[in-house]
Amino acid sequence: MRMIFSFIGRKVLRLLSLLFAISVITFILISHSPIDPIQAYIGADMMRVGPEQREKIAENWGLNEPPAEQFFRWGSSVIQGDLGTSMIYRRPVTEMIHEKFLHSLALMIIAWLLSGLIGFILGIAAAMKKDKWPDRIIKGYCYTLAATPTFWMGLLLLMIFAVWLEWFPIGMGVPAGVLTENVTLADRISHIVLPAFTLSIVGVANVALHTRQKLIDVLSSEYILFAKARGEKGFTLLWRHGIRNISLPAITLHFAGFSELFGGAVLAEQVFSYPGLGQATVEAGLRGDIPLLLGLVIFSTLFVFAGNLLADLISFIVDPRLKERKPV
Amino acid sequence: MKKFIIVFSVIILLIFTGCSNGGNGESKNHADTTRDELILAVGNEPETGFDPALGWGQYGSPLFQSTLLKRDHDLNVTYDAAKGYEVSENGKVWTVKLRDDVMFSDGKPLRAEDVQFTYETALTSDSVLDLNILEKVVVKDPVTVEFHLYEANSTFLHSLLTLGIIPKHSYGDQYAENPIGSGPYKLVQWDKGQQIIIETNPNYYGKKPFFKRITFLFLNEDAAFAAAKAGQLDMAYIPASFSKNEVPGMVLESIQSVDNRGIMFPYVPSGEKTDDGKDIGNDVTADIAIRKAINVAIDREALVDGILEGYGTPGYSAADGLPWFNEETKFEDGDVNAAKEILAKADWKDENGDGVLEKEGLKAAFTLLYPANDVTRQSLAIAVADMVKPLGITIKVEGKSWDEIENLMHSNAVMMGWGSHDPIEIYNLFSSKMAGMDYYNSGFYSNPKVDEYLEKALLSKNEQEANEYWKKAQWDGKTGLSSKGDAPWAWLVNIDHLYLVNEKLNIGEQRIQPHGHGWPITDNLVDWKWDEK
Repeated sequence: MRMIFSFIGRKVLRLLSLLFAISVITFILISHSPIDPIQAYIGADMMRVGPEQREKIAENWGLNEPPAEQFFRWGSSVIQGDLGTSMIYRRPVTEMIHEKFLHSLALMIIAWLLSGLIGFILGIAAAMKKDKWPDRIIKGYCYTLAATPTFWMGLLLLMIFAVWLEWFPIGMGVPAGVLTENVTLADRISHIVLPAFTLSIVGVANVALHTRQKLIDVLSSEYILFAKARGEKGFTLLWRHGIRNISLPAITLHFAGFSELFGGAVLAEQVFSYPGLGQATVEAGLRGDIPLLLGLVIFSTLFVFAGNLLADLISFIVDPRLKERKPV
Repeated sequence: MKKFIIVFSVIILLIFTGCSNGGNGESKNHADTTRDELILAVGNEPETGFDPALGWGQYGSPLFQSTLLKRDHDLNVTYDAAKGYEVSENGKVWTVKLRDDVMFSDGKPLRAEDVQFTYETALTSDSVLDLNILEKVVVKDPVTVEFHLYEANSTFLHSLLTLGIIPKHSYGDQYAENPIGSGPYKLVQWDKGQQIIIETNPNYYGKKPFFKRITFLFLNEDAAFAAAKAGQLDMAYIPASFSKNEVPGMVLESIQSVDNRGIMFPYVPSGEKTDDGKDIGNDVTADIAIRKAINVAIDREALVDGILEGYGTPGYSAADGLPWFNEETKFEDGDVNAAKEILAKADWKDENGDGVLEKEGLKAAFTLLYPANDVTRQSLAIAVADMVKPLGITIKVEGKSWDEIENLMHSNAVMMGWGSHDPIEIYNLFSSKMAGMDYYNSGFYSNPKVDEYLEKALLSKNEQEANEYWKKAQWDGKTGLSSKGDAPWAWLVNIDHLYLVNEKLNIGEQRIQPHGHGWPITDNLVDWKWDEK
């Protein structure tokens, strides 16, 4: 037990230093970016907003101070739990992340479970039938997926299932023109199917190919040879001697894939006009909304870090060999 | 592996052909004209919500609020919540009389205090609304309000036309999400990042809209087009590149705009620098013969047909078709011979036979910059360069980011775009007082006579008088800021705004739209109805 605590303690330290480094780097990058947030905000009203008004906006946003001072002010309020106010939305960043993340969360969980499950099953199937036609099809499918950009896949699905077949809505999280009290669970599900499926594609190839390789290794090991000699075969053999061994890389990989999930969500949400964190991130980046972008960066760092931490913890628990190794 | 590829492509092919057969059925939505609901996708979500003090309603109708004045479809000024206004002798005090029967959607009356509160809030909101000219707002009696300006400015009218009135009693942090106002509609639901649903406001004093409930989806142009194809919309805003695709049950409406594109020429010879070290002026474009010749040689119709797919109009000024546009400034273009004559008269000759004109050792060559991410501007720039080549003028076309252009725009020609329903734009683009201030008059144009007209236009007490001066500034018979006069710009085209509209929906008479595609179409929402037939 003490080992787990020291493990967590080290991780927390690492997280804090990571967060600090990430926010400093992000801030430096944004303040050197060629985007002028005021210009981006004014946009087409350029001709009607005079220099005096620009000055007022800059002052309101705190852009007149030197970057170091801006960062310090932002940092000290973050330590007190206040992520600041978004420049373009004029709402507290915490409130915005909360609202948008709830939308994204459902999407990401479904996609994540789907891709893990599909990937794992495909990987097993491929390894069991190594070098036969199912293996070749699955491998080919995985290579294609791995080489396919999410947004392209999303557009394809959108064209086929929403525009031509009209099975699913073209986007958004709720049906158009329906009051919240009349939105059914079925409505919500039909809206989430396409984006979740698009997003799940990101993880499938990874999990499937790794699981396949691991299972092939396992199947050629001596203990399998021994089990076979005892007359075990097919699914029983896999269940008794394979699953636990091959699930480890799949789980680790899949939890560590949180970052790809996050990146994929940005694109999938963009294609399906889905109101999650992805859209907010794109807006914040393109328009130089410093507080919002920093808030999102910190949040996504936490998210990805949590994924990696879970992966570590689970392998720690599942794999007895890791427990026995004493930390230095 | 090869086998797999073949199998896979056959499957994909089957899916595709199968689908194109399946998708032709017209959606039930379109045929039904008994419903009094519409679903539109015409613009982006206003990030700061529906608070006029933060910029809501500057384009199109504010929907939930009413303004003091409004423009009809010919862009004439009429009254909305006001019943009259007067400007004092010195132009600094505007007195507005309010209607006494205007009610907010919560049943309380609209009074002068609300107007005062609206303008004071907008003034201090640090938003896109620039009301810095306003000194104070004085309530005279419940239905009379006075606006005191620091200096006379006839374009203050634009604020009266666009700023929706906020109720003082219900304004707070949540207002942008729950707007209460005296407009034709009230907000029922806002699903952030997705849509708003609005319904008619029973307390509205004006013409009752035909459609009781309207849903606005916040989709980008691609998604809006996809939704239209799937038969889920009554109206979608689309870019010109989609205009060739037919959508069953919908027709393409092309609406004229002042969303213009033109070439800004540096007006003065080189040599000077701005305070922050940017070069000013260009010796070639400082020669009026070069600017005039380019203006005359460009075939604007060809640009509209070739680059805008025909969805546009030839551009002659920053304000084509608006009440302050001077019709006399239109001219015959596409005339290469006339252009050559202008150049020959000004002693531009090709002495060394390299196809480029010279004058006193100066080659007729300059750089034209355009924002690199804008395909339309790029195409326009290249087309213009081709059109003036036979004259012996070489235009080097270069795409840059706006940040680079900002540093180079005082010494190089730039492909710019403007177009506003506020005549202050003319002042900002051409007054010598605005030379070098941000993007205003970046070519350092100046003409004392034009300046005089521009100042007079600002000082005018009503729009008619102001418009006379705006027109004179463009061309008074002898000089002006138009291509007939000093030709500091070569205006090229006005880009039409395109919408896919349900073929049975009648969207009334549309006015000329400003720069900004989308929301302006809601200006006459109350007039929309189903076609009778």
